[in-house]
Amino acid sequence: MSSVFEPEVVEVMDFSKADRSTETQLSAEEKREIDAEFSHYEDKASVGLEALRIVQKHRGWISDQSLQAVSDYLDIPSAQLEGVATFFQLIFRQPVGKEVILFCKSASCWIMGCARLQARIEQKLQIAPGQTSGDGIFTLLETPCLGDCDKAPVMMVGEEMHRNLTEQSIDEIIDNKKRRHADESTD
Amino acid sequence: MPTITIDGDDYEVEEGQNLLSTCLSLGIDLPYFCWHPAMGSVGACRQCAVIEYKDAEDHRGRLVMSCMTPIKDGGLYSVTAEQAREFRGSIIEDLMTNHPHDCPVCEEGGECHLQDMTEMTGHTNRRYRGTKRTHRNQYLGPFINHEMNRCIACYRCTRFYRDYAGGTDLQALGRNNQVYFGRQQEGVLENGFSGNLVEVCPTGVFTDKTFSKHYVRKWDLQTAPSICEHCAVGCNTAPGAREGWDGKDQMLRRVINLYHREINGYFLCDRGRFGYDYVNCDARLKAVLAARTDTLIESTAARGERIHGEIPPREAVERLAQTLAQAQKGQRRLIGIGSPRASLENNFALRQLVGPDNFYAGLAERDLHLLHLVDAIQRDPRIHSPTTPEIESADAILILGEDISNTAPRVGLAVRQAARNRQRRQARELKIPQWQDASVRQLDGDPSPIAVAGFEDSGLDDIASSRFHGTPEEIAAFGHALAQLIAGKQPAEVSPEYLEMAQQISETLSASERPLVISGCGCRSGEILQAAAQLATALADRNSNPCALYLTCLEVNSLGLAQLCTDGKKALDHLPGALRTEGEAKNPSSVIVLENELCRRVDTATADEIFSLADELIVLDLLHNLTTRRADLVFPAAATVESQGTVINSNGLAQCFYAVYEGPGFIQESWRWLADAAAFCPESNALISTIADWKHCHDLNQAIAEAFPELEVVAELGPDEDFRIDGLEVARQSHRYSGRTAIYADKSVAEHKPVKDPDAPLVFSMEGIQDPDKSPLQANIWSPGWNSNQALHKFLQGIGGKRRCGNGGRKIQRASRSLPDWKPAVQPAGEAEGFLLLPIYRMFGSGELSAMAPAIASVIAQPFVLINRHDAKRLDIDAGDPLEITVGGDRCQLIAEISDSIPFGSLGVPYGFPQVEPLGTEAPARGQLHLLQLETGGDQ
Ligand code: SF4
Ligand code: SF4
Ligand code: FES
Ligand code: FES
Repeated sequence: MSSVFEPEVVEVMDFSKADRSTETQLSAEEKREIDAEFSHYEDKASVGLEALRIVQKHRGWISDQSLQAVSDYLDIPSAQLEGVATFFQLIFRQPVGKEVILFCKSASCWIMGCARLQARIEQKLQIAPGQTSGDGIFTLLETPCLGDCDKAPVMMVGEEMHRNLTEQSIDEIIDNKKRRHADESTD
Repeated sequence: MPTITIDGDDYEVEEGQNLLSTCLSLGIDLPYFCWHPAMGSVGACRQCAVIEYKDAEDHRGRLVMSCMTPIKDGGLYSVTAEQAREFRGSIIEDLMTNHPHDCPVCEEGGECHLQDMTEMTGHTNRRYRGTKRTHRNQYLGPFINHEMNRCIACYRCTRFYRDYAGGTDLQALGRNNQVYFGRQQEGVLENGFSGNLVEVCPTGVFTDKTFSKHYVRKWDLQTAPSICEHCAVGCNTAPGAREGWDGKDQMLRRVINLYHREINGYFLCDRGRFGYDYVNCDARLKAVLAARTDTLIESTAARGERIHGEIPPREAVERLAQTLAQAQKGQRRLIGIGSPRASLENNFALRQLVGPDNFYAGLAERDLHLLHLVDAIQRDPRIHSPTTPEIESADAILILGEDISNTAPRVGLAVRQAARNRQRRQARELKIPQWQDASVRQLDGDPSPIAVAGFEDSGLDDIASSRFHGTPEEIAAFGHALAQLIAGKQPAEVSPEYLEMAQQISETLSASERPLVISGCGCRSGEILQAAAQLATALADRNSNPCALYLTCLEVNSLGLAQLCTDGKKALDHLPGALRTEGEAKNPSSVIVLENELCRRVDTATADEIFSLADELIVLDLLHNLTTRRADLVFPAAATVESQGTVINSNGLAQCFYAVYEGPGFIQESWRWLADAAAFCPESNALISTIADWKHCHDLNQAIAEAFPELEVVAELGPDEDFRIDGLEVARQSHRYSGRTAIYADKSVAEHKPVKDPDAPLVFSMEGIQDPDKSPLQANIWSPGWNSNQALHKFLQGIGGKRRCGNGGRKIQRASRSLPDWKPAVQPAGEAEGFLLLPIYRMFGSGELSAMAPAIASVIAQPFVLINRHDAKRLDIDAGDPLEITVGGDRCQLIAEISDSIPFGSLGVPYGFPQVEPLGTEAPARGQLHLLQLETGGDQ
């Protein structure tokens, strides 16, 4: 749970780079970052989660190949690493969109009508939770309490927190993002 | 002893236990899932809730998980309180929301802990009508089925597989309702104890795939206590049989664990659990065969193989009787070849028939010598042969030359538990009870020191604190150096690079309270055995206390055979010579081979010599093999599960196995064939009539005890066939065994009279003693309300204690004799030619019988040769290259495997693998390596 509160938790990859998600070797950069993280831990097994986060930052998601690469590099069984990867919601074992929406479904947000807002997103993007929009931009994920109950309903889009959501603000957020990504791709 | 009150009754209970195991040992039914007697508590499932009261004034109490609650003197508890019952019912109800309604097609059904616990809590009505979560199942190899929808997430499987057995490829994945127990990718489970998942999982997620192929419910199985015949550890098993598809003959359906505290406890290895199917395989002999004398198509047979045809058993027995008669008249020489995989009774019968002078051990001289060494070492009063619980409690272990993970797997599992003893000690100091599994495992107490010296990487490397790889000579020298260091002397023979390691290991061993040394016959080096003995006696002298030394033998009755055959010259190597001298005297010779494949014992040339020098070759065996193919007469012998007999395990423990069912066809015990022949023998004398008079297994046991005073216990192992309890024998079938008349209804609707067992007070029917507390012969562990194997606790002296109605076995009483002081052997200097071949064992492949079980056969590795990385580089060999090895007169083709651990100039060759058996008979030996050119198919 605690990692959800950390702002840097969903580090979205830099999409200007080529898709490296199925590469079987870690890059020098990935290794360097993992080694740096490793210095804070007692043994290799405990750095597994951080290593997955680092690789996900670079590759967008954790493919079987990436998982195996981390397992080889840290010399921990791939099954054990898979246990970690599938336990933490923010390690993605499938490709995700460029913007991951973490939509809060816990009590306060529920009281404040998140169900209606979620329906709005689903209808607007034509996706259900766990799916990615056809244009590859958005992935919708449900999440437990994001710790901002006094400003419910809330959701995170990438690293940004959006509070006191209304149908209107949701439309704006999504449209803005769409526009930004459209601009980027025509650059 | 603390006194506690449960539901108003006072009990005096054992200190330091948790409430759940206390309740169970008091006979109170309390449901649970995640607790396991060998693995302790983690409090994961919440099924074992009870009420704990503060004091007599407290009438409400609070819910506690009994498995996590330490017993308190004066503690007040309630199991039956309404609140606790409701809570337990609701836990089951929650578990059931996702559990499928598939008991009728689930192979756990009828022996399912989840069914039992559901009944016990009284949750008999489903309210939940919603959808259930569904999972995809994985292919986990030929042994285990996977049906994840049945999972209740108790975590027992991963706790066993990872924590207890050291496996790395089974894991809890996902979370919440989606938690999944499986591999990262589909594939064969790698750990050699995976079969225990079948018994550890309280539901039908993991079931026995080999059993699926011929499945029947537990209550439809017929069972009797047996001993695993796949190595010399002597694990106790409960095989189950039932009529085959033809509705007549019984066939073996599966093997499960039968608790024996001192040996296997709750767990078997996969060779033992899945190796059983050889008895049903195509190579099984069920009829008497005689070689045809016409040479019709003989030209197609290689190496003098004979063409056989079935003959009536009576004719064969009469033929054997003629041979006996000629021998009695001095016109024929009879030679008997015994076997380490045959029972004492069978070996003894043959030995009596041919006379001790003509009885050969059925082993190469080297192997017989090793067995005699083991026997001699174990006779020294300073040596103690440790039981499994003693191995588990060792605080420093040295393994010298023996790859126990493959030659004595169950012992390897025990060593793995010993690795945690420092952690356990730390827990004691911190006053954490040992059963608090998760807390104890969390302590970072160093692993206990375990040093492993072997030819290559061992299956215990992950827990080893030091590792030494070398040739047999180097390992022996290392062992001698350790012995000298322990005795406070300066070691002579150890290279400086290993001196430091030797010093450190010797200090650890000297300082430990319960040191353990392990070695064995697998390394096929007498020097290593001697070094291990030197080392253990040095420790014993130092501590003025016998030292634990476990010596593995390789086969189920190796040590028993060594007791019957004490002359080291009665080995197969000497047989051709003996046959030749006899030939000069012009008396023809008949060689009787007892359950032995000679081509696994000696090189091809020697085996061929024996075959061609024998004027008549008579073989009694279970399976068709290279020896039976050369025989004039082949008798089908009963397998362990089809017969009764005694075997002696590596520790010198004599144990009896009982017939689970009658062998199909004309199968009977080898000794019965011999006794039948004696009965038909026209030439009568005292010897022949004694043998002809053997009617019961017990008659032989008495004869063995008389002939061999050290084996006297053999006559006292079990009740004889006339023994009765309340006028009854013990039932092999459960009350619910179905179809007993229906199964023969196509022929007759009359009630069948059950076949009489001539050897044991056990019946092949359901009428008789069912209660495992009344007789150790009852192997169906069942108690009302407890249909799964978890019923076991009902029959133990406390949790993890001995079975109340003990199985046990008895140690043979060997006269003690002190060992000489063995010095390290001086190696003859000189240029060695070729490569040193070292025997390498594998759980699947090295066992002769298990290799014939189809499931095991499907996972046996290709015959490999381990070659050191540097040697490979020098010779430009890559992994997967086809190689040929020539040793003695034999040549074998194998596939190169690169190894970082096998010593330079050595090659690891598989021991006993199908197709390359000769290699195992020779290694360690010098051999030549040839690169095979791949057929390129191109024009050059
Ligand atoms: S698979 Fe079986 S042992 Fe493993 S958690 Fe599920 S129910 Fe328990
Ligand atoms: S350790 Fe040996 S005796 Fe025990 S189950 Fe395995 S093969 Fe059988
Ligand atoms: S419930 Fe949504 S932020 Fe807490
Ligand atoms: S047995 Fe006590 S919580 Fe599972």
